[in-house]
Amino acid sequence: MNILCASSGLVWPKSPQKGISGIREGGFEDILLDMSACCSAEELEHLGKEREPSRGVLNPKPKAAMRISEHPEELCSCLKLLLEECGKEAVRITAARAPYLSRNTKREDLGELLMRLAEESIRVCGRAGCRYLIVKPLISGIEPGGEWEANRKYYLGLAHAARRNNVMILLENQCRDKNGNPVRGICSDADEAVSWIDRLNEESGHESFGFCMDVGVCSLCGQDMREFALMLGHRIKAVILRDCDGIHENAMLPFTSIDRGQFRTDWLSLIRGLRETGFDGSIIMDFSSMTAAFSQFLRPQLIQFARGVAEFFKWQISMKNVLKKYDKRVLFGAGNMCRNYMKCYGGEFPPLFTCDNNKARWGEWFEGLEVKPPEALKELAPDCAIFICNVYYREIEQQLRKMGLVNPIEYFNDEYMPSYYWDRLEYWEA
Amino acid sequence: MIGIGVQTQNVINDNYPEEGFVMLKRAGFTCADFSLNRYLLNSSLYRSERNDFFDKSVQELEHFFAPHKQGARAVGITINQMHMPYPVFVPGADREINAYLWNQVAPKSMAVCAFFDCPYMVIHGFKLARYLGSEELEWQETKKFIDSVAPFAKETGITICIENLYDSVGGHLVEGPCCNAKKAADRIDYFNDKYGAEVLGFCFDVGHANIVGIDFEKFITTLGSRIKVLHIHDNDGVSDLHQLPFTFTKTRENISSTDWDGFIRGLGCIHFDKVLSFETAPVLTAFPEAMRQDALGFIANIGSYLAGEIQSRL
Repeated sequence: MNILCASSGLVWPKSPQKGISGIREGGFEDILLDMSACCSAEELEHLGKEREPSRGVLNPKPKAAMRISEHPEELCSCLKLLLEECGKEAVRITAARAPYLSRNTKREDLGELLMRLAEESIRVCGRAGCRYLIVKPLISGIEPGGEWEANRKYYLGLAHAARRNNVMILLENQCRDKNGNPVRGICSDADEAVSWIDRLNEESGHESFGFCMDVGVCSLCGQDMREFALMLGHRIKAVILRDCDGIHENAMLPFTSIDRGQFRTDWLSLIRGLRETGFDGSIIMDFSSMTAAFSQFLRPQLIQFARGVAEFFKWQISMKNVLKKYDKRVLFGAGNMCRNYMKCYGGEFPPLFTCDNNKARWGEWFEGLEVKPPEALKELAPDCAIFICNVYYREIEQQLRKMGLVNPIEYFNDEYMPSYYWDRLEYWEA
Repeated sequence: MIGIGVQTQNVINDNYPEEGFVMLKRAGFTCADFSLNRYLLNSSLYRSERNDFFDKSVQELEHFFAPHKQGARAVGITINQMHMPYPVFVPGADREINAYLWNQVAPKSMAVCAFFDCPYMVIHGFKLARYLGSEELEWQETKKFIDSVAPFAKETGITICIENLYDSVGGHLVEGPCCNAKKAADRIDYFNDKYGAEVLGFCFDVGHANIVGIDFEKFITTLGSRIKVLHIHDNDGVSDLHQLPFTFTKTRENISSTDWDGFIRGLGCIHFDKVLSFETAPVLTAFPEAMRQDALGFIANIGSYLAGEIQSRL
């Protein structure tokens, strides 16, 4: 699983140095390049309508800037500096997003332009070695009921270029604006998204299409993200992790939209769903609302924190994949976490035994496992993994390494379990 | 002919029920959704408290509700739907309470429904997905419950209706049981095949759907004729306010932010010809009591408007 930082709000195509180096220093090696930085939804909305250029105090007569919406063929040159900077800083462009219309657009005449912009975006991806390009579906200028046909034509029209450039086009779940109310739009019904992707792949004769799950959209639409993720399964290649209050559009770091100590996005369902599908794609951290609001002096810490949050999600989501990696395993710890392991994963991934530092527990049977002293771990085959089931992960890992153990050591955690058990242990203390 | 109905809650007084039905008739309603749920409140159940209302025998309950039945009949109001007290399972509550809900409240509610000759009983599915880990396991529990009341439903010609619900994550309302129209349709068909009768149907709750951003038209047309009853009410897309349709706007254009057009198109498309039933009891406490009759009249007028629009699309 790789972790990406969305470029929105952090990197500007005309002066990308600071943004790219900041992302790199924050610990990210991969980015999602949002090409709307060159051709924004606002620019598209006003295309063909002459507007009075804004006149700043120091620049009363600004030069008319070239608009990518009028010259889509210039998209690549618009991103030249940014691509060069990524090369210098060894930052990979792992995913990108083609320019798109706002969800409450009034424009119904831009289908061809969007196609052109998507083609140019594919070319940029090809040049940058970027594997995934998110191309939002056409949402306007379509007769009700004609969404699939219009988009089928649109996406299939891009398939050849995508294949030639080794790019996979990712469809993305959309919100629709109903007079200010976000409602489920195209591909927000998982069944529909599955059907679209499968049909597009079948008709293009190649796996050119996948899915990008936007958690923010799921939250705005109050969706059950476990069900959503499970339905889409292996088609999900990327997940945009962003938080909002479920009412207003925002891109904040996970766990930051809270109300009286409780988060408002259903992270539990998301983690359950992605873990169960064995998700191993790209996690994209989009916190552009926060970068816009925070002082630029705090950005370095913010980016580092974002990286830490992403690592947490990676750990939680990949928990089952890590369990699967090993043929044999033992646990360390004989408390609630061990019990929850046994309740949720003991059947599928049975441990040989568990061990504990508490002498009083040695020889005891707990949740069907013999509790042994840590010394017993020395008898293990070297490929047998030790899963620490205790929050003192680092201390225990250190203890085991000091014992000379060379076995793989993994951290199990029961914060986001596939189900809950209400009868917690009361007698045992760590 | 589409009927127009409303909840009896905040209208019908147990001491002189006929007065309330007269109000409904005068307002323009032809039907009523009998609020059986108000006799055992969910707010109490979530506190693991219960009153003794359903300790009464079926005969005692019938005796209690006889004036209500007579009152409705006297003025020509049809009790077309009823709401079972909910929840019928309280996670984490004493076994005793849950056993009481399952073994006493549910069967007696069904008996009351039959007593009123009411064809539809709305129930709430169990909200257990977060605990059990999946919507499918949650449904298995609801399924057991439906199985416990379905034989009586078949015997008495009642259709139990599952309703799209919401759940809460940190105060953010998200989809709960029965929000997947395709799954709901399959499950309804399964039950009806199993029992060889229409024992299960759907209650489309517009307000709940609006909170979780459901596409009304798609949802309604997916369920089609399985939709037997409606809970019509409006909200701001955030809270379950049970207010008048067309009340909420969010933009400077001041156009309703709830997709009433989609609702009308959907019902027109499935040739809905049953009752437009409003679940708007809070409206009646929000308006001064002196305006209750006017408020009811306005709700009924909205119903007439919606009925006209739906019929024009048949």
